Amino acid sequence: MSAPTPKGVLTTPIFKNNPIALQILGICSALAVTSSMSVSLVMSLAVIFVTAFSNLFVSLIRNHIPSSIRIIVQMTIIASLVIVVDQILKAYAYEMSKQLSVFVGLIITNCIVMGRAEGFAMTNTPGLSFLDGIGNGLGYGFILMTVGFVRELLGSGSVFGVTVLETVQNGGWYVPNGLLLLPPSAFFIIGLIIWVLRAVNPEQVEENEFQMKENTQPKEAV
Amino acid sequence: MGIRQTLENIEPHFHKGGKYEKFYPLFEAVDTIFYTPPSVAKTTAHVRDGIDLKRIMITVWLCTFPAMLFGMWNAGWQANLAIADGFSAMGGWREAIVMTLAGGHDPGSLWANFVLGATYFLPIYLVTFVVGGFWEVLFAIKRGHEVNEGFFVTSVLYALILPATIPLWQVALGITFGVVIGKEIFGGTGKNFLNPALTGRAFLYFAYPAQISGDAVWVAADGFTGATPLSTAFQSGMSVLSEQYSWWDAFLGFIPGSVGETSTLAILIGAVVLLWTKIASWRIMLGTFLGMVATSALFNLIGSDTNPMFAMSWYWHLVVGGFAFGMVFMATDPVSASMTNPGRLIFGALIGVMTVLIRVVNPAFPEGIMLAILFANLFAPLIDHFFVQANIKRRMQRTGVPAEETA
Amino acid sequence: MAQSNNSIKKILTVAFALCIVCSIIVSTAAVALRSKQQLNQELDRKTNILAVAGLYETGTDVEVAFQEITPRVVDLRTGEYTDQFDAEQYDSFQAAKDPAQSRTLSGEKDIAGLSRQENYSTVYLVGDPDDPEQVILPIRGQGLWGLMRGYLAVQGDGNTIEGITFYSHSETPGLGGEVDNPRWKAQWEGKQIFAEGDDVQPDIALVKGGASAETEVDALSGASLTSKGVTNLLRFWLSPEGFGEYLARFRSGVAQDEAQGAATDLDETEGA
Repeated sequence: MSAPTPKGVLTTPIFKNNPIALQILGICSALAVTSSMSVSLVMSLAVIFVTAFSNLFVSLIRNHIPSSIRIIVQMTIIASLVIVVDQILKAYAYEMSKQLSVFVGLIITNCIVMGRAEGFAMTNTPGLSFLDGIGNGLGYGFILMTVGFVRELLGSGSVFGVTVLETVQNGGWYVPNGLLLLPPSAFFIIGLIIWVLRAVNPEQVEENEFQMKENTQPKEAV
Repeated sequence: MGIRQTLENIEPHFHKGGKYEKFYPLFEAVDTIFYTPPSVAKTTAHVRDGIDLKRIMITVWLCTFPAMLFGMWNAGWQANLAIADGFSAMGGWREAIVMTLAGGHDPGSLWANFVLGATYFLPIYLVTFVVGGFWEVLFAIKRGHEVNEGFFVTSVLYALILPATIPLWQVALGITFGVVIGKEIFGGTGKNFLNPALTGRAFLYFAYPAQISGDAVWVAADGFTGATPLSTAFQSGMSVLSEQYSWWDAFLGFIPGSVGETSTLAILIGAVVLLWTKIASWRIMLGTFLGMVATSALFNLIGSDTNPMFAMSWYWHLVVGGFAFGMVFMATDPVSASMTNPGRLIFGALIGVMTVLIRVVNPAFPEGIMLAILFANLFAPLIDHFFVQANIKRRMQRTGVPAEETA
Repeated sequence: MAQSNNSIKKILTVAFALCIVCSIIVSTAAVALRSKQQLNQELDRKTNILAVAGLYETGTDVEVAFQEITPRVVDLRTGEYTDQFDAEQYDSFQAAKDPAQSRTLSGEKDIAGLSRQENYSTVYLVGDPDDPEQVILPIRGQGLWGLMRGYLAVQGDGNTIEGITFYSHSETPGLGGEVDNPRWKAQWEGKQIFAEGDDVQPDIALVKGGASAETEVDALSGASLTSKGVTNLLRFWLSPEGFGEYLARFRSGVAQDEAQGAATDLDETEGA
């Protein structure tokens, strides 16, 4: 791979190398928090923050991290950042933190954060790593917001809590789709997003794991 | 012959380079409805038989007719009974047709019941066919393969497991989901590991549960409320259910429910044909049946003070809800079921067990057969894998050829 | 460089330094923000209480509005007020877990599915504590998937419902989850807990297909089990097993009279 450029590390994770759509990381939180857009947004911001700063700190001390305990070191840094984010949300965005509940804490186990720290920040300069963290956070956020938009619009008839389609329960005409209020629906939406992304960028399509055998050649029966 | 002539005349337009090259799948579909396909097996091993996929599918389609015809009558009968009880009719264009053709809402008249039921079922079927067919053809054209006749069966099965009063736009959404997500995404007929008709129905079940969960019932009379037999049993217990309907009512199908699944008798007529023509696997049906009987007997034995469903005996499980329909038409789907013979028994048993488990233990879902079949669909390849492996091992031992170095 | 990084000394130094730095950051954040967080929790609880009493709109100053409200601890068995606990601090959920302060429920009695019930619970009086306009009762019980917790506001006559709210539940979104739909909650206002002539066993219930009587409320469509849960938990908490004794006193005005005198002696016996 050619040397990473600041612009490159910031933008490629959004479409070309999206952490959710291509690397299939961080799916669980994408399922759990996307039933409304405002919650998705806060979650995205939290992940962008954590990924960027964990990358920055890991990169800053990368030359001093003993390789035998490097995963623990990374985890400690990530976990500390997540706790700080959680505390801040509880103090300044209580309603949000109630809705996000354990999922802020679970950013610790979000493979994107860990993956970037280990895969990128350990070998790159702090500035680049910081941008890379933001870029991957944005890629995560892009999927979250898209899924959140579809789920909230069709599931509750609103966007960011503002009613767009008046639902039947509230005396309107729109029958909300209950499936989209349930977490598994995010699977379908993420799947469809992946379908679209790979239709646009065919190079993302994975190679077949195996090849079907050709039919036997036709020949005269003896 | 007129048709042959016309088809041959227009055929060149659909071949490579012709005007309508892209629409060849459509032409092919129409052509093979009337005539045996011109193409024959090219490799050495083949069997001479008049049966092809299209003939199989049409047989299955015909097998659903007893259930379908009875279902239409029953849907009308249930509605007319409610109307005779003082509820008003739904009105709208359906009412106009009923008035023109039957002239009234007499629950004693076979014709009036049938017409009323038909005004509900036929639009559902039509919408299913048009919308589902649209996706089918779209993917066929885009991917350049032929339109697959499996869709005939999918569409009729899907329409039959819907309640008569479902809004038509939901029908359209459901079949779209079933065909696109349940089948085409994975490569079309033959590669779908889920039953598309059930996938569509499951989508509706979770998306619009208020209308479809069987809680507020599906009788086409204005303001009528009640519950399907399963919901009744679930909420009020077996004694209330057996006061309302006798077992024979449920077996013959004089109960409210989805269009095609009320009459166990009509379904069994279809089952006989399917088994006689060897289109459906008797092993799957048997497995499902035995699994259901064993599990419900177990629950009967355990008993429960708080959950009345524990007391439901196997012969009731068989006749209420969609169990019979699912066992005969859904579980036996040749694509999404297990392929190996012992595997089919296990596959069926898994469905039977899961159905009763969901019906009895799960507090939220009164009906379980749909989810049970989808669940078993997921396991079918795994079940097959074990039996294929076991078979390979056995053959190794018999022939004495040393097993490949695997470990 | 790589070699020295992996020496025992270096490993210990890095691990130790990292732990120190991280723990300082984390504990600073936790300590500095704690008061703010507790304020938030408190505010949230008060907002819920105000909302059920119909005193909250967006932009209301919660602290000011809450001065209207007086929390009191009630002995559920006798229905009398007690000063044994500080009403601001008393936590009935904690008490329900403590065998000394609660009792077990079983079988027929436990229709709300609680299995343990506290002996004392907090009620909130709106307006003049001696002659309250409303009383707000904490209620909870099993829904379809889990415990639903909420408040019920009853008007000064001890029979007419002012409002209901569920602030925590895990019902299916779109079905049972509609228990927090404002439109559904709006129809509770003015409903009666007890039917004419019977004021011991509550008659309030959720019914399918159009509520007609004063004691009936429309059930949630497509959510019969959640609706059943709501009916059961209300029937439980409003019966003599729950706040029934208290409500009886409240209606007859006895509770108000005793409020000033605040029973001092009757609680000593209950501690053991």
